[in-house]
Order: sequence, then C-alpha cells, then structure tokens
Amino acid sequence: MGFKRIAYVTMVMAHKDLLDFWKAKMLVVAFTLFPIVMMAIFGYMFPSITSANPYAGKFSSPYGRLPIAIVNEDGGRAGEEIADRFAQLASSTGLFEVRDFASLEAAKERMTEGKLKGVLVIPQGFTESLSSGRQAILTIIVDDTNPQAASSIFGQASSLVRIISEGVAASRISGLGAGADPMALLEPIGLERRPFVRGSATTFQFLAPGFMALTVTLGTLSGLAATISREKEQGTLDGIMVSPVPRYTVVVSKVLAQTVRGMIQSFIILAVSMLFFGVRVYGSPLLMVLTMFLAVLSFSGIGIIITAISGEQETAMTSLMLINMPMTFLSNVVFPIEQLPWWLQVVGKSLPLYYSADALRKIIVLNAQIHHIAPDLIVLALYSLLTLSAAIPIFVRSVSR
Amino acid sequence: MAVEAFGLTKRFGNFTAVDHVDLSIREGEIFGLLGPNGAGKTTLVRMLTTLMRPTEGTAKVGGYDILREPDEVRKAIGLVAEKLILYPRLNAVENLMFFGRLYGMEGEELRRKVDELIEMVRLEGFKDFPIGGYSSGMRQRLNIVRALLHDPRILFLDEPTAMLDPQSIRFVRDLIKDLRKGGRTIILTTHIMEEAEELSDRVGIIDHGRILVVDTPEGLKSKLGVSNLLEVFLELTGRDLRDRAENRIPIRAVGRM
Ligand SMILES: Nc1ncnc2c1ncn2[C@@H]1O[C@H](COP(=O)(O)OP(=O)(O)OP(=O)(O)O)[C@@H](O)[C@H]1O
Ligand SMILES: [Mg+2]
Repeated sequence: MGFKRIAYVTMVMAHKDLLDFWKAKMLVVAFTLFPIVMMAIFGYMFPSITSANPYAGKFSSPYGRLPIAIVNEDGGRAGEEIADRFAQLASSTGLFEVRDFASLEAAKERMTEGKLKGVLVIPQGFTESLSSGRQAILTIIVDDTNPQAASSIFGQASSLVRIISEGVAASRISGLGAGADPMALLEPIGLERRPFVRGSATTFQFLAPGFMALTVTLGTLSGLAATISREKEQGTLDGIMVSPVPRYTVVVSKVLAQTVRGMIQSFIILAVSMLFFGVRVYGSPLLMVLTMFLAVLSFSGIGIIITAISGEQETAMTSLMLINMPMTFLSNVVFPIEQLPWWLQVVGKSLPLYYSADALRKIIVLNAQIHHIAPDLIVLALYSLLTLSAAIPIFVRSVSR
Repeated sequence: MAVEAFGLTKRFGNFTAVDHVDLSIREGEIFGLLGPNGAGKTTLVRMLTTLMRPTEGTAKVGGYDILREPDEVRKAIGLVAEKLILYPRLNAVENLMFFGRLYGMEGEELRRKVDELIEMVRLEGFKDFPIGGYSSGMRQRLNIVRALLHDPRILFLDEPTAMLDPQSIRFVRDLIKDLRKGGRTIILTTHIMEEAEELSDRVGIIDHGRILVVDTPEGLKSKLGVSNLLEVFLELTGRDLRDRAENRIPIRAVGRM
C-alpha cells in the first residue's frame, strides 16, 4: 500500500474523529470552556500588580493581600509610629492586610486557625533601643505551613522594614546637619534590581505557559482514552478493522485528531491569558506551535497504552487519574520543582510535561530561539518516538485478542 | 469454496470458545450458522473476518488465508456485526462516506454508491439526520448496507434481525434474499429457527464451540424425523438452559459486549 493511500486513510479517519467531536455540541462547549475557566481561576489566584500602584514592579505578591497582624508590646512613641508606617506601606503596596492585635497570644490563636498568615511584633523596649542609638529589632512570625508563602511574606515584610529603616536613618543623618547626602552615607554602594524580562513581568506571565502545556496534556490523555475506548465499546472500531487499512493508521489518526484539538485548546488559553491577564508573548508563534505539537505527541503513546491495557472506558479514565494528578504537581507547572525532595524531582523530570512547560515558558517569556530549547524538544521527540512505537503494537494486539 | 476453516480454535484463558472447527461454505450459498447463546458463533465470525486471531488453526476466506493475507480477505468481505458499526452523531451520508473512503472509494463514484444504498433501504428522507435519532429498524437497515459499499463477494451477518419489529424483520429478510443476487455468498448467524429455515440453503449447528452437523434444513428434518428445525435444534443441543460456570467471563471481555 502506497504512502499516499496510507496518508489519505489516516486523514480520513482523523477528519471523521473531528467531525464526530464537532457534532457533539455540548462537548464542544465544555471543551472550549475548560481552558477559559482554568485560566480564569489561575489568573485570579495569581494576580498581577497593576500600574495604578506606585510600587508596581517593585513589589508583587503571588498571593494577593495576605492578612497579617501587628502586635505592639512596646508602648513608646517610636513603636507607635513604626506600626502606623508599616500599615500604611502595606496597604499602598497591596502586599498585606494589616490588623492590630493587643496580645501575641491572641494573634497566634488566629494564625493557628489560618485566619492570619503572619504576626509582626514590636517588642518591649523598642523605642528605648531606637532612641539610645542601638539597633532596634522587629520580629515577624510567619505561618510555616506553606513554606513558599512563608518565605515570600518574610521577604516582603523585610523590604517594607528596610524602607522604614532607611527613612529613620535619613532623618537622623540630616539632623546631623553638614549637608551630607544621607543615601551616600547609608548605602555607599547601591544595588538596583532591573527585571530580566521586558515590561512588567507578572507571576502569571511565568505560570501561563505551564498551564498551557498542562491543559493540553490533560486534554490529550483523556481525549485519546475516551475516543479509543468508546469506539471499541460501541463497535465502530470493528468497522475500521474489517476494512483494508493498516492497523497503525488508526492510532496515528487518533493522535492527529487529538493534536488538532489540543492545539485549539492551547490557543484558547493563550488568547485568554493575553486578553485578560496581561500575558505577553515575546517569542515566535511558530516555535510555540512546534512545541505544543510535541507536547501532545509526547503523551499520546502513554494515553494509548493505558487505554489498550484498561480495555474499557471507566477503567481507562480512572487509570489516567493516576498519572494526571502527580503530573500536575510534579512537573514544575504549579509548584517550583526545586521545592520537591530530590526523588520527586526525578519523577517530575521523567514526565514529558516538565519539558514542554519549560520550553513553552522560555519561548513565551524569554523569546528563546530554537537552539535555546533544543534539549527540551529533543527529549520530547524521543519520548514521542519511544512511547508511540511501544503503543502501536500494544494497541494492535489489544484489538485482535 | 467461499469459506474453508481448518481446525479453527479460539481459547480465552483455559475456556475454549471455538473448538477445532472444520467448515466449508460454497460460493453463492446462504449458510445459516445456528447455535444457542454462547455457542461460539460470534467468535467464529470474528476469526473469519480477521478481527480476532485464532489460537490454533486457520481458514481461507474468498480464497485467501486469514492469517497470511488478511488485507485480501478484508477486501472480499462485508460484515454486519452484533453491534452497530455506525457513528451515532454522524448522519447516514457521513457514516457511509467515511467507510467508503476506507475502501478507497472517492468522489462521484462514492456519492452515487452512497445514495443508491440509502435508497435501497428507503432512508432518503432521513439521510441528513444523526443516526443516533433513528429507530432500531432504521439503524439496522443502514448498518446492513454499510457493509455493501465495496460490493463484497462474501457477506457475514451476525444476528441481523435481533431486536427488530416484525415489519423490519420482514424487510431485512427480503433484503438478505436480494443480496445473494449476482452470486454473493452469505453467512448468517442466528438462533431463530424460522429465519434459518427461510433463508438458508444449508445450516450448520454449533454448540460448545463445535460444529455438530451441516446439512440442508430438509435433510436435517428428515434425518431426525421431526417436523421443524426447532425440534432438530433441541434434539441436537439439548433442552437444558445455557447457564454454565464457564460463562462467568473475565471482566476484561466486558468491553467487547
Ligand atoms: N473476549 C472474550 N473473553 C472471554 N470470553 C469470551 C470472549 N468472547 C467470547 N467469550 C466467551 O466465548 C463463548 C462464545 O461466545 P460467542 O460470543 O462467540 O457466542 P455466540 O454464539 O455468539 O452467542 P450469542 O448467541 O449470545 O451471541 C461465550 O461463553 C463467551 O462468554
Ligand atoms: Mg453472538
């Protein structure tokens, strides 16, 4: 059988799959809504700082306004002033929502309940230390249940304290007279941070590419499992198998149809991210298409193997969950992979999603060229090749049992 | 011979569904394969139509070996399976066009064939509706002509009248008689005796995976001295119900049903 005929029947079968999909209107609606809902949720979970904020770009919290308490045990004037200044800065930067608490015990109680994320303590003797020229220390207690949030709270609180502290120092120095430049005295060497990425990078800018890869992957896996097992169960697969088309073209056509679906979904995600959440694409759209294509392909083999082994739809879908859940959390999409213990990092890095998310992120955010992401693409291509060449014979055997 | 089986056997685990079947079906005849539930009719048909690999033995269908020349076999045969081979969301034309293309048909030729077949089973008025909305009778009529797109010389029909109303049964049986025109061989499985008697030139009775006897309906009746085929059938396969321990099939097979 010639290549042209093989390509033709493959296209015919892929076209039928897409037509069959298109005819299920409710399915099309859900399919379109899924990425929109997903991105809307993630987009609001990780808001970007708007330019109306004077501190835009300087401070950003991936967690929005976090409730923290100020407990003033000092009783002096300086303590009072620091508390006010901190609260004011916290609200103008949009980092924290500050509440006053009379005692540390009460604040700790609220934190245990999860109603507070941190407690800033102005200790006894703070005013005295400050006025006697010693370094006055503030303490912050943070909710350690989420280490990532905890370290970010600490970092942000530190930067606010630094601003206050610089202010205090500056006024003291100018009190000395002599026309000295207070900043020069305080910070003989200044370090200014300039963003690596053009424009105002938001957390979401980094997250969106990962979610694109994730959504496409989840969609491909469940889509493949659903269409293959449905055709098996409803009996239409027999109609194909009893006709003179090579067995493997069935697999190839299914993968092709899923790829088209996956690409459509990922571009919906991109459009939503760009229109509503200020995500900007700095890299080449063509390279994105190539990466998305490999992202879908790299998971097709796994989807087919699971479906073939499972035999029927519910088993297949349930077995897929076994992969989907860990993959979501281990592949550097939602949580930074560095946070994981080494062995979970190994698991995460052995899943193709890690590489497709990585490549996509580099293209979208860093305008990476093909040679920058070549290692990712090679891993994805090898993954596709290996899993599909195992999947095809497994599929063929499973339908002629 | 249209079909010749040589020791064809299928085992599922240690359960033998088809047991060393030797069978010859002549060109142009309607052959009725009769057997109780679970006798192995569908399994036998699936092996002959290249959908299932035999555990042992082989067969020639249309002169080609099912193991060595499966594509030649596939071009020669049409299959009306137990389950409908139609996509419920697609309409009649889309369904037939799709399967036609798998057989290498294209363009005007395919269009004409599809229209002709739809008219043959009087579904012209419904050809643009998704077949999921058809009645069982309409669906089965379309399902039968779906197997005729490439004019197969040999047609397998696995219980083509199951679950149909009397009007549809009549229509389908007349259609089957029509289909033998031009020397087409038809292999029909059923456990409805009157159907086998009305349609078949010869019948084979199968039970527990073994072919018990092959003869004309008249030959069988006179041999056993009974008046109808139902009595022949019960005489040969026993009067007990068919519930056997072996019928507790593994769950993996559920997807097949
Ligand atoms: N895939 C399978 N796995 C395990 N057992 C199977 C499988 N397919 C069929 N069987 C068993 O093989 C036997 C023959 O089944 P088959 O479907 O061929 O019978 P049949 O004669 O077509 O019956 P019916 O009249 O009910 O359609 C049955 O006992 C059935 O349970
Ligand atoms: Mg059967």
